[in-house]
Amino acid sequence: MQGKYKATFWLSVVLVALLLLVPALGSKYLVDLTTEIMIYALFALSLNVLIGYSGNISFGHAAYFAIGGYACAIFLTTYEWPLIISMPAAIVLAGLAAAFVGYFCIRLTDIYFSMLTLAFGMLVWAVAFKWRGVTGGDDGFVGVAVPEFIGDRYAFFYFTLTVVALSTGLLWLICHSAFGRTLVAVRENRMRASFVGVDTRRLRLTAFVVAGTFAGIAGSLFAMYNRGVYVESAFWTESGQVLIMTLLGGLYSFFGPALGAAVLYTLQVGINQYTEYWPVVLGTILLIIIMFLPNGLVGLAQKISAQFSRRT
Amino acid sequence: MKRIFETSVAGRAFGAAALSVALLSGANGAGAAEIKIGVLYPISGGGAIYGGPAMQGHDLAVDEINAAGGVLGMKFVTAARDSKLNPAAAAAAAKELITKEGVNVLLGGLASSVGLAISEVARQEGVIYIATIPKTIKLTTTKLHPYVFRTASNTDFEGDAMAQIVKKVDGKKLCDIQLDYAYGHDLGDGIAKALPKHAPNANIVIKLRPKLGATDFNAYITQIMGSGCDTVVSGLWGNHFVNFAKQAAPFGFFGNHVYITGGEIASHEVASKLAGDYPDNVWSNTYELWYHSPTDAHKKFQARLAKKADTEATAMWPVLAYNGVMLYKAAVEKAGSTDADKVSKALEGLTIDTPMGKLTMDAKSHQANTGQFWGPMKKVAGKPYRVMDPITFVPPPE
Repeated sequence: MQGKYKATFWLSVVLVALLLLVPALGSKYLVDLTTEIMIYALFALSLNVLIGYSGNISFGHAAYFAIGGYACAIFLTTYEWPLIISMPAAIVLAGLAAAFVGYFCIRLTDIYFSMLTLAFGMLVWAVAFKWRGVTGGDDGFVGVAVPEFIGDRYAFFYFTLTVVALSTGLLWLICHSAFGRTLVAVRENRMRASFVGVDTRRLRLTAFVVAGTFAGIAGSLFAMYNRGVYVESAFWTESGQVLIMTLLGGLYSFFGPALGAAVLYTLQVGINQYTEYWPVVLGTILLIIIMFLPNGLVGLAQKISAQFSRRT
Repeated sequence: MKRIFETSVAGRAFGAAALSVALLSGANGAGAAEIKIGVLYPISGGGAIYGGPAMQGHDLAVDEINAAGGVLGMKFVTAARDSKLNPAAAAAAAKELITKEGVNVLLGGLASSVGLAISEVARQEGVIYIATIPKTIKLTTTKLHPYVFRTASNTDFEGDAMAQIVKKVDGKKLCDIQLDYAYGHDLGDGIAKALPKHAPNANIVIKLRPKLGATDFNAYITQIMGSGCDTVVSGLWGNHFVNFAKQAAPFGFFGNHVYITGGEIASHEVASKLAGDYPDNVWSNTYELWYHSPTDAHKKFQARLAKKADTEATAMWPVLAYNGVMLYKAAVEKAGSTDADKVSKALEGLTIDTPMGKLTMDAKSHQANTGQFWGPMKKVAGKPYRVMDPITFVPPPE
């Protein structure tokens, strides 16, 4: 293992160990908040495969989060399948949906790619909204039958931690494999990459499927955590929110989006407790990122570190 | 050097995340000398027209209880959140109220979808939820659990009353326009169930379902006008009806149709907002009217509310929120505890005096016997906007 990877590995181990201690602090609220942050962190990390690594900006990523959520909820509750089948089936379904949508989207680039992802995303929302008999429509799918062994908030916290840690590890391996490196090459110069023999379309499609699949994992965790899935999970604003999380953390860093998710979600929850003007705060955050923090919080930290080390 | 940056950046990232979480982790649980009430009404967006007034009634009840010394020696304290007419946001806020604020009870909700979402959180967490406004029948039937109770009317009660009015106006061909969420669908079902009983000759010829929060009704208005119906049955409420009425009026819509609605558009909130634009041929409902006191208790309540709101023409929703708080107070007194299981038992069959008369919580269905005033909306000399005349109280069906 190379030195920098070794350091990342040990820092991750320390973080997981710290997270394991959260329930010991005795605050149900903190356990719930940490569970929510972990789910959103995975959601943002999944989007970063598409944005940060392959350079394709998706405005419809919430679709796969919602598909994972609805599918897991329906399999567990309507069909009464066990979790061991329901969750993997939901994840596969999210991946298949991503493959289908990606097949069309990767034929386009730049703004056209983004607008097509938005169109497909809103199509998924419309299906969830109108297919009332299956999804519950605007009322949401309420009362998900979560298995007893993870029914307790603490058990679910450990379950989420395990799933998110394993998924993040897997995503890290994917992003740092030859596939991930080639994705970066495609992001930097698609034409040059294709000249050296890279099948850029196939590569971008694979990135789309990977991103959709991991968003599906986050979605299925979200449905079980909330004991419900709501149509807002598929709406473009949810795609916008995860995009802002990714931007806030930093596009070109693997862990940046997770940090962005933690900061943005914590701010949202905290501010909503005092005022109904969260959208104003969100708009201001977006403004600051675009104007002053193009590489997000991780980029800012890197800049500060660089200045500090230059002085010393 | 680059390696050091990368590890230290990651370290800082984790540190920052941990710090942010730690800053928000302090649980403000209910203290020993207080009973904490979690309240969820929409106080922003389209639902604020009802959520804002509801909060006035809630605050009035809490002030009165505390001025009288509280309950079991404890004061009532309110922790309010914006439910935003959004079930996902309301569920997250309800969970936060329970786990961080440590509330003893949840009150409120407005949209039925929001009521169902809050109820699910109450079920999971074992906390009492009193639905003061949501009317979906599911809340007290298929989604009923030991901790959910409703003081509002429900879609079956409303559907029954609307079918009686269809008979009264001799409606034959009905257009059914409801919002596309739990309340709208369940009210549509409630009307369809009651029509064979009260107006067997009436038939629904078209069903339309605009989205909750919709502002443009032009496509629906033209469909209704083209369908040849003589009567419209609807549940469009608040700003939905305000927009619908303003867009339909130029077509002469209300001259050709009798409009019967369960959306409480006879309330001060809607009638005063539409004022001179309030259309003809509207029959509606309301829980309370500031200009009509059926009991002495109501007269006194309305006077206190008018003083608090600094206006004689008070809103309708405060009484629902007020009754919710008073019901919980009575249940805690009866149970001698704030324990959710004991309060749940105490609520079953409990009767309290309210400004609108006796309110009894059915032990089996957890539905209160809440009736409503129904009648046509007319211009009356000396009144600032259309008022209900004559006013008929319709009790819930047996």
